[in-house]
Amino acid sequence: MKRKWILFSTMMISMAFLSGCWSKKELSELALISAVGIDRDEDGNYMKAIQIINPGNVSSGLQGGGGGQAPGVTVITAEGKSIVDVHINASAEISRQLYHPHANLIVIGEDLAREQPLNTLLDSFDRNAEFRNTAQLVIAKKSPAADLIKVLSPVEKLPSEKIYKTLDVTEKMRGENITVSLQDFIKTSASPGIEPVLSSFTLEGDVKEGKKQENIQQSQPETIVKADGLAIFKEDKLVDFYSGNMARGVVWILDRVKQTDVLLDWKKNKDAITYSVIRQSTSVSADTSKDLPEITVNVKAEGMIRETEAPVKLDDPNVIHELEKTAEKEIKEQLERTVKQTQNKKTDIFGFGQTVYRKDADKWKKLRNNWNDDYFPNLKVKVNVDAFIRRTGLRTAPNLSEIKEKYE
Amino acid sequence: MQENKNISFGHNEFNIQGKVKGAMASFFKRRKKSIQISKNEEPGSGQEKKKEETGPMQAGKSEESSAGKSGEASQKQPDALYTSLAANLDKIKRKTGNSPDVVIRPIKVGGAQAELETAVVYVKGLVDDQSIHDFLIESLMNNAELQKELSPEKAMKTIKDDVVAIGGIKSVKKWDDLFADLMSGNALILIDGSEEALMASTQGGQRRSVQEPTTNVAIRGSKESFTESLETNQAMVRRIINNPDLWVESMNLGKMTKTSVSIMYINGIAKKEIVDEVRTRLKQIDIDSILESGYIEQLIEDQTMTTFPTVYHTERPDAVAGNLLEGRVAVFVNGTPFVLLAPAVFIQFFQSVEDYYARFDISTAIRFLRVLIFFISLVGPAVYIAATTFHQEMIPTALAIIVAAQRESSPFPAFVEAIIMEVTFEILREAGLRLPKAIGATVSIVGGLVVGQAAVQAGIVSPAMLIVVAITAIASFATPSYAIAISARLIRFLFMVSAAMFGFYGLILALIMLIVHLCSLRSFGIPYMSPLAPVIPSELGDTIVRKPLWAFGKRPQLIAAENRTREGKNQKPKPPESRGMKHYTRKEEKDET
Repeated sequence: MKRKWILFSTMMISMAFLSGCWSKKELSELALISAVGIDRDEDGNYMKAIQIINPGNVSSGLQGGGGGQAPGVTVITAEGKSIVDVHINASAEISRQLYHPHANLIVIGEDLAREQPLNTLLDSFDRNAEFRNTAQLVIAKKSPAADLIKVLSPVEKLPSEKIYKTLDVTEKMRGENITVSLQDFIKTSASPGIEPVLSSFTLEGDVKEGKKQENIQQSQPETIVKADGLAIFKEDKLVDFYSGNMARGVVWILDRVKQTDVLLDWKKNKDAITYSVIRQSTSVSADTSKDLPEITVNVKAEGMIRETEAPVKLDDPNVIHELEKTAEKEIKEQLERTVKQTQNKKTDIFGFGQTVYRKDADKWKKLRNNWNDDYFPNLKVKVNVDAFIRRTGLRTAPNLSEIKEKYE
Repeated sequence: MQENKNISFGHNEFNIQGKVKGAMASFFKRRKKSIQISKNEEPGSGQEKKKEETGPMQAGKSEESSAGKSGEASQKQPDALYTSLAANLDKIKRKTGNSPDVVIRPIKVGGAQAELETAVVYVKGLVDDQSIHDFLIESLMNNAELQKELSPEKAMKTIKDDVVAIGGIKSVKKWDDLFADLMSGNALILIDGSEEALMASTQGGQRRSVQEPTTNVAIRGSKESFTESLETNQAMVRRIINNPDLWVESMNLGKMTKTSVSIMYINGIAKKEIVDEVRTRLKQIDIDSILESGYIEQLIEDQTMTTFPTVYHTERPDAVAGNLLEGRVAVFVNGTPFVLLAPAVFIQFFQSVEDYYARFDISTAIRFLRVLIFFISLVGPAVYIAATTFHQEMIPTALAIIVAAQRESSPFPAFVEAIIMEVTFEILREAGLRLPKAIGATVSIVGGLVVGQAAVQAGIVSPAMLIVVAITAIASFATPSYAIAISARLIRFLFMVSAAMFGFYGLILALIMLIVHLCSLRSFGIPYMSPLAPVIPSELGDTIVRKPLWAFGKRPQLIAAENRTREGKNQKPKPPESRGMKHYTRKEEKDET
């Protein structure tokens, strides 16, 4: 009995010691990847730029730490026949094990996105257990993805953080971009009746300057990365970029606008009044009784007057009402223009098809095959806007009116 | 005389040896539940194999038998006192090895003609000098009755009834009782020609006075703590519970030390089975000495293969009173301020008397904090190890970068680093604990500054690790019961090893094993995790949360006996009915003015 116990406990202990520390990896043996950029070269090989964090340079709080002296990231590039192939090739350039879970950004080059359906490209990321599906996906507009990753950023020590946070903030403030994560994109592109959109970023300035630490040692960096509207996809391939009011129109119909400004004309003064939307809700409904479905977009916007460049009597309810009407008209026009232009592109990024599918699945079965090319462009889309002015800021009548009176 | 002393020294040594061996032998026998105990007593029958060993023991035993081991010896030779005073005194001298602190004071009574030899015997230091002088020796010398002609029996009666002005007085006839009383600080009065001796209770001497508790400190509540005196301690509890149902049973444990041990419980509230169990376990103790209640604790535990305490101990009389009122049994041991309470449950170690003195919302919040603290002190470094060596993805990126930057320069793996720091800390703590207070401060400076700061600056350990160790250390100090904190301290290393081997997976496995182990424990038959496992819904109100005092309906059902009602109904305080406030108007005010 005693021997049995000794044998048993020896087995248990050796089991722990033999199998223990199986997947142990010290933090100092890892290269934390913060962002990945993918392009394709002329030969058709994939090129991957991997942005690796230099922890010592990022956290400057440490004694003797060279924070601010050397860049917080290092970018290594490799090429190969497949995404995983590139990844394996990249290990030749770095002394540590590449570690994916902290990567929160994937940048795709414009050329690659135009040539290849993104879904096929993203498979390896989706398949990899180490890679977070919540990483943001963006398109590099007019430049290779690698360049976007190489540019050092002011304020944020990690360029990937800069892009990630810029996207988040501008989505909330301006409503011309939306954050789309890897899993969002894959889900959308796999869903019937909707095409994905992604935010796009552009590089302003020279990438050679942007790579240097000097770039961020000046009050106005020479080279900077900035958010620039949306990339529109058709069948997972990039077809066009939208920016400005067009991009906002898309975001609006997708019901993702959180806050945005609409400029209103007031009595001959163009763009005189800034109507700031602080809350909105948009719903899309479909009427499938006819052969071709009819789509209605209902927008309910609530906002405030933030700026007036023309004298306007804001203490008069009739004036406020009139302003509301103007805002409704303006928003309606913008949205209709966006829908019209997108119909010309023949890609249903608004998910009207999905609405039809949900409303009438049988009808959708008949329509779905040529939805993007035949039916979507000919849809009759009606936009209803209900705008409401909640408040006019701290003033009622603008001081302009008083000044005017003074000189008259 | 000199020679005599030597001999008696030798005799004493033999005696000790014999006693210890005898105790061990009989303890062993008892364990085996063999009937050979009687055989053991006959020399040579079952002991032939161990003849060399038993040689001295037998020698000790034969001497011993004259002094009298209660049961067996009385059959061979009566354990009675001699008639002659000289013989008795000689025996006392021999038995105590002529120790100078055993004072023998001969006094002559019975008038000038028929002088009657008497003697007062006591142990210096153990007795209250004043009562010996004022109420015993002076009375014996000056009492008029005693100056008449007296027979020993008459003298005995007179002394007992009229002379000695001391509360407790009794006659003893056996040597065993005589020595037990003498050594516990009572004074003996021996009279020539009498086979009896009188025993006056004169216990006293220098003792530590009642002071503030040092271990279970509370901001609010009684500032008294127990002392080393059993009687004082019992009295302190009696002062809180003024009820005849507070029962005390006393016994002497330890063959050599004859330490007084007593059980205290409230009749009608304490469960009879538990009281019986405690009594039986105490009676089973057969050991040469009881030096602290820890001896008893270790000998009466249900489960010895655990780091968790299954008997609660405290210095606070109010804590003892509170537990007695829940139906627990207290074990007082003479010579220690720590009183044992049984049965103990796990959650009890997270409770402090103050929880009941403060309002329930505050107590509940603090109890939550304590459980958190315990958890931190248990798994703090283990979580750090698991997160930095297995699950780097679980650390938020910003933090991961900071930790990674710190780990860049550190030469050891996280586990080794953690072990170094934890062991260093344990060394510091142990050093600080044992040293005099003046040097203690130096140790903390050396430890805190030199070891902590310098180790980080030299890059041997990372600052994050130091923070984790420091938080863990503070957490282990913040646990209200030292007994449970010390077990967490030990188990922490186990957690660290399992986390270093299998990451969070190992950590959770170890945690599950710990919980299973905790659920398997019993304290005097009561599940250790009750009322959490098994769940007793009505009693969950006094676990991690504390119900308002007015909602404390009953005593714990597993511990308390039939009388479980703690308070009456409708105990929730209410404001009085309206005192006409609604009729009070401004108008009335105006009228008055």
